[in-house]
Amino acid sequence: MRAMRLVKAVILAVCWSAGFATLVAGAQQQEKWTQPAAELAGQIADILGPGQAQLTIRNLSVIPASEIPAIRKLLEQDLKVRGVIAGGAESANLIRVTLSQNLRDRLWIAEIVEGNDTRVAMVRADALEPTATIASGDRVVLRKEMIPRLVNRLGASVSDSPIVATAEINGHLVVMYADRIAVFSSSGASWVETDSFAMGTRPVRDPHGILSPAADGGSFLAYAPGTQCSGSYSLPLNGDTRVSGWTVRCRPSDDPWPIYQTADASSAPSLKAFYNAARDFFTGVVTPNIGTDLPPFYSAGLLPRAAGGAALLITGIDGKVQIVENNSARIVSGTRDWGSDFAVVRSGCGAGTQVIASSSGAAENDSLRAFVIPALDAIPESNVLIMNGTVAALWTGQDGKSAMAVVRNPAGTYEVDRVTALCN
Amino acid sequence: MRWTVSRRFAISILFVLIEICAWGRTRPHYGGTIHVEIAGDPWERPSGVARRLVYDGLTQFDSFGSLQSSLAVSWEQDNSYHRWQFRLRPGVRFHDGTALTSATVIASLNASCSAHCPWDAVKAVGSLVIFTNDSPMPTLPSLLASDQFLIALTSTAGASSTVGVGTGPFQVNGFTNGVLALIAYENSWSGRPFADAIEVRVHRAVRDQWLDLSLGRADVVEVPAEQLRQAQQQRLSLHTSPPVSLLALLLRDDGALANVKVRAAIAASVDRSSIYNVIFQKQGEATASLLPARMSGYAFLFPTDRDLNKAHELRGGLGTTSLTMSVEGDGAVQLAAQRISLNLREAGFNVQTVPAGTQRADVVLRTLSIAGDDPAAALERLLWDAGVPAPVTEQLPDALYKQEKAILDSRRIIPLLDLPMAYANGARLRDLRLRADATPDLAYASLEDTR
Repeated sequence: MRAMRLVKAVILAVCWSAGFATLVAGAQQQEKWTQPAAELAGQIADILGPGQAQLTIRNLSVIPASEIPAIRKLLEQDLKVRGVIAGGAESANLIRVTLSQNLRDRLWIAEIVEGNDTRVAMVRADALEPTATIASGDRVVLRKEMIPRLVNRLGASVSDSPIVATAEINGHLVVMYADRIAVFSSSGASWVETDSFAMGTRPVRDPHGILSPAADGGSFLAYAPGTQCSGSYSLPLNGDTRVSGWTVRCRPSDDPWPIYQTADASSAPSLKAFYNAARDFFTGVVTPNIGTDLPPFYSAGLLPRAAGGAALLITGIDGKVQIVENNSARIVSGTRDWGSDFAVVRSGCGAGTQVIASSSGAAENDSLRAFVIPALDAIPESNVLIMNGTVAALWTGQDGKSAMAVVRNPAGTYEVDRVTALCN
Repeated sequence: MRWTVSRRFAISILFVLIEICAWGRTRPHYGGTIHVEIAGDPWERPSGVARRLVYDGLTQFDSFGSLQSSLAVSWEQDNSYHRWQFRLRPGVRFHDGTALTSATVIASLNASCSAHCPWDAVKAVGSLVIFTNDSPMPTLPSLLASDQFLIALTSTAGASSTVGVGTGPFQVNGFTNGVLALIAYENSWSGRPFADAIEVRVHRAVRDQWLDLSLGRADVVEVPAEQLRQAQQQRLSLHTSPPVSLLALLLRDDGALANVKVRAAIAASVDRSSIYNVIFQKQGEATASLLPARMSGYAFLFPTDRDLNKAHELRGGLGTTSLTMSVEGDGAVQLAAQRISLNLREAGFNVQTVPAGTQRADVVLRTLSIAGDDPAAALERLLWDAGVPAPVTEQLPDALYKQEKAILDSRRIIPLLDLPMAYANGARLRDLRLRADATPDLAYASLEDTR
């Protein structure tokens, strides 16, 4: 009996909360249209003067049809306050309101018809907020978290330049763009740019590069086509917080690039590869020599094997993914839908290490998914994580447990997401 | 049982198809030659495919219609938009190695508009190009993104431009047997294009273009607006722009058309619905507004209906008026001209068609370009393109509406249809995208089968 009472109380509370939430949401929606409705009613009343008029409303905008009655009610109330009574089909005067929009504004337009004379009143209304979607998971769950907004000193967003790579070093966010390296300092909910260093790179249409933080936590090396930069941090003199304390020096260089993060490698030796700066891919020549010839490739990662040791995984420029072990390269099946970049992460779930690869299919937005490669097959092991646009770059995070993805969204701006593989 | 087997088979086929259709977003390959076929001239304004591959402007629109830097890296105005200064991008060179300087830019701009420029004076100060004008020029940066003001290297004589020498991602390699050959410009300031070369086969009938596309002989072909439905039925890989081109009648305001009521009679007598429904196969949108609805939000305020009675009333019982009309365009535009001639005949006008480009034609039927996301700037560019330049100083929608209404009330331009532009690409071409003016941006396109 007591349990029944408890259940009833819970149901009542849930219903009350839901009803309250609906009321609040409805009130917020209505509040959004209060100002444009009052403004338009004012303009109509100025043109028409006190009297009666027939009011029609049509919607050519993305405002949901469910909100039209509330807008109509607001308009009727505001017109009434100004002496214009809406209604009366027999009235000679007509107020034809169109809820319209253009590329920038929501426009509410009234055509006021008095006999043969039509006059126009127009006001701008607020834009609607876009809605978001989420995806669900299975064995390993991929979760994404967008790193805080990148802004300049004036607080304006600097997200419209292609981001090549990022790394968080010594409390700063180092961001590599196509032509410069910028240092951002944390400021609450955003990263504020405090320094920028030109790299002197040649412009390319598909910029790629590698940012390799040093183990000391206070320096990094950056590799871009034809250019190598080194960055180091020293405490600003007199504790001046207006400068980042970073110094970055760049020079022309054809030196080989490190092709995987040290966190991937664990105890494995580092491997570097020569980059074809004119064609944006690794030539296949690596140092030190691994005993087998590699084809030209876009990205590489070190994959621990169950039997011990590690294998090299590469995505060739022919679109084939190959695994290199025991002095031979073999094609991995199940990778037809992979993009050019991937990231090896040590999640500790399932087999312990997963490969996160991008895929687009016919969808507008790319997705990420984690795979395991126990032998020569890539087997999906996670949910499909839909990104907010196309994945422009993907690499293993500094912790080795997450992947970092640069996403170009449909509006043409860039965001950086940290993607973590969690055990389900 | 049979049904179950066939259903399983169908599901298996579906999975196979899904597998075939799924692909990762791989990086673009460098190399190869892109084969383009067009019906017109690659250099024709405003949408010739070669123009923006070879030339750059001081500013440009991105594919979202937002204004971006191009040969100018920054610009600022003072004196309430009477003076603008544009700072040139350093280190840019023309295809022949000549450095881009403020002097070469000014020579090109002067050659493009000679005595009818939207500014009173332009001068070079170091790497700055400075424009001044008696009237405010709030939309000058957008205006400079238009096709007319692309920067070409002019000859030392100063008057005519050196054909085909620009700063764009491709440079001209020759023109033989109806094929314009372009090759990648390695030192392009915007980065080397992915393809090594582009071959543009010109004056090719659309039917032949589609045939070549199906045979793999062409990578990019045109899809005229009136054939979009057919292209969809044939499942071509289409890239369709929003309406970026306005089909309009441009009227003189002298001679037989000196009276605004006579011009208004022409506007009232045109039957847009038949042009839209029959000739353009319901593609685009019939309009009586200069700016398309997506850009202004108020296009519906200008009625598109034909009113023959009003046309007769406006003519006030005049006898038959003889007019000359020139038509710039082919195919559907020519058909539209014939239809308009019939419409006008019913309203008491006798229309005689004269060759395109005839200077003294009373009426010109042509398309005007609309691009960008700034309605005021787009309107000013459109007026410039139509040959009735007027500064558009209003930015707010209600003020812009009033200005547009005043322009339309003069009946010098009669808007008819907002039309999209479209291209189809072959299977081996990837990452084709259209610019804001709907021309294909082939600098970012690459070929799948190049390694």
